[in-house]
Amino acid sequence: MSGSCGNYAFELLIIVVNEGCGTKILHIAQRSGVCGATIMLGRGTVNSAILKRLELYDEQKEIVLILAGRLVAFELLDRLNDEYRFNKPHHGIAFCIPVARVYGSRSCQPSDCGNGGADTVMYNAIYVIVDEGNAEAVIDAATKAGSRGGTVINARGSGIHETSRLFNMEIEPEKEIVLIISESGATESIATSIRDAIQIEKPGNGIMFVQDVSRVYGLR
Amino acid sequence: MNVLTHKLKEVSFAVLPITVIVMLLNITVAPVEITFIFRFLLGALLIVLGLSIFLFGVDLGITPIGKEVGTSLIKTNKYWIVAVVGFLLAFFVSLAEPDLHILAGQVDAVTSGLISKTSIVFVVSMGIAALVSIGLIRIIRNVPLNIVLTILYGIILLLSFFTSSEAMAISFDASGATTGALTVPFILALAFGVSRLKKNSLASESDSFGLVAIASTGAIVAVMVMSIVSGAKEITGSLETGAAQHQSFIGPFVENLPRLAVESLIALLPLIAIFIVFQMVSLKLSKNKLRRMFIGLLYTFIGLVLFMTGVHAGFMDVGRIIGYEVALLEKKAIFVLTGFALGLSTILAEPAVHVLTKNIERITSGYIKRKAVLAALSLGVGCAVALSCLRILLPGVELWHFLLPGYALAIVMTYFTPRLFVGIAFDSGGVASGPMTATFILAFTQGAAEAVDTAHVLIDGFGMIAMVALMPLIALQVLGIMYKIKTRKGGLEEDVRQLR
Repeated sequence: MSGSCGNYAFELLIIVVNEGCGTKILHIAQRSGVCGATIMLGRGTVNSAILKRLELYDEQKEIVLILAGRLVAFELLDRLNDEYRFNKPHHGIAFCIPVARVYGSRSCQPSDCGNGGADTVMYNAIYVIVDEGNAEAVIDAATKAGSRGGTVINARGSGIHETSRLFNMEIEPEKEIVLIISESGATESIATSIRDAIQIEKPGNGIMFVQDVSRVYGLR
Repeated sequence: MNVLTHKLKEVSFAVLPITVIVMLLNITVAPVEITFIFRFLLGALLIVLGLSIFLFGVDLGITPIGKEVGTSLIKTNKYWIVAVVGFLLAFFVSLAEPDLHILAGQVDAVTSGLISKTSIVFVVSMGIAALVSIGLIRIIRNVPLNIVLTILYGIILLLSFFTSSEAMAISFDASGATTGALTVPFILALAFGVSRLKKNSLASESDSFGLVAIASTGAIVAVMVMSIVSGAKEITGSLETGAAQHQSFIGPFVENLPRLAVESLIALLPLIAIFIVFQMVSLKLSKNKLRRMFIGLLYTFIGLVLFMTGVHAGFMDVGRIIGYEVALLEKKAIFVLTGFALGLSTILAEPAVHVLTKNIERITSGYIKRKAVLAALSLGVGCAVALSCLRILLPGVELWHFLLPGYALAIVMTYFTPRLFVGIAFDSGGVASGPMTATFILAFTQGAAEAVDTAHVLIDGFGMIAMVALMPLIALQVLGIMYKIKTRKGGLEEDVRQLR
């Protein structure tokens, strides 16, 4: 491990874009020297009162995860921003989370870490994992506290409170992961609002955690 | 407004091909009266609008209801509840399916009342319900789909030795007719609701599909058994195919709208009733979610009515006229090619196809691309319609000449195709033969059969849906095998060597 950039020589790029753009991003990433990416489906929220009344506020999104050395990641992020103009409305969002170690990828070399030292943390990524159907409540609470919206990923998993067998098949209940990006200043109030709304402290109601984000494009 | 424009754009692209092809035919080989053309264009507009609204409705209403109901069934942890409730659900949903009533009415007419309309609706619904309950148990017990399908189609093969060719055509059509625009999304969601809880994600993915396929064999078996029991060997009556002539441009729309509205409402009623019962007994969803689902059901209703009006009032007459004119042409190749082109493009505007392809993409996280499935489906249905056209032209060729080798091939292929694709392929068979095919393409083949002396309007018309239900099975399994070959990881060995 090269020590020039602290503990974090790598970055995890997370890019949330409209349906269909994931594959294009993957190609751009590959041209920039990243050897692979993972794409998941999720849904985003729309900020429109009329559509909300009509119950038409779900938008299909694709979430792209890319692991890369720090410098490569930042270059790629800039290039993607040129291509997709994340700062315009409805063009998606892209951000980086520092990563300490990467295994299993030969193209991710820690040596290519540039501009030493960590950026000052300006943003946070808030993850909330709740039972299916509760994501809306989380996003509503976050919006009330000043967030601009969120992305929902369908998932499954089980805590210790869930029965694990029905008939002879093993069961893992459906979950939803809500991903919200917030400015560091607002993180605390958003987190509190979510905690109050879904009473996350009570057992079985879900789990929430916050990560530092090194760079963000597309948050207005 | 992003969401709305996106959906409208997507649906417009789906309806555009069929519109363009009909317009091309109009200026080249099959000129159609100008009133009909305007009706056709208005119909296309209604279809775009209706389909968009319908798809929103399915997303918000039908799918969540099916999913919640499926999940709450499985959570009872009792086989008999799953079997009995699954049976009741499928029975009432299929009982209300408008397509089934139309088919039953036709069968009643052509057998001169030997097989009555009520009895056929009842028996087919029983058949479907029984098979849905078997299909649900299959998902729970992890029985491979290809084995279940082999057994079911084996039974059908046995029965087919005792049925007349007309009854066989009707029975295969019944399977297509009963899996209509509402039943398919509901059954798909039900299967997803049951299988999504599985821990093994591979099984959970592939078991989400296949329930529609199993359900549709229920209809085939039911009709075959009925025709054997009733002893209806010969088709005696004939069908009224000539529609009433309308002089005014808007006439057919005004006339069809109320009828279709009532039909759609009847079709939706069991779903609403099921949902209310489940909500009171086990679901207990929050007020917000309830509101969302009821708005979804409202969208489904509005969308379905607009869509069906567009198809019935705008598309059907044009289909018949084109079929008649093209079949009269000297060069028979043009007729077969037209059939191919119409099949190719019609399927894109089929509502259940949108629902299925969206589900596939969602469940496989985009691994199986919508476009790939659509392309395979399109080609399959194109071939199916082209083959049906051949059958109309050549009097010696019978339906079973295609069905027997076709299904034999499809069943054998299930043993080589990835599990996920087996379910998708057999589901798409029921999905492909939806309202668009059952009206527009059927009108086309019937029009053509009128023009060809040796063809029998009824028999040749009936068999077409059976063909449309068969070809996607083969086309999508071919796609599955291609996927299997293409997604082997390349360059792995080289990388390993370099590491050493």
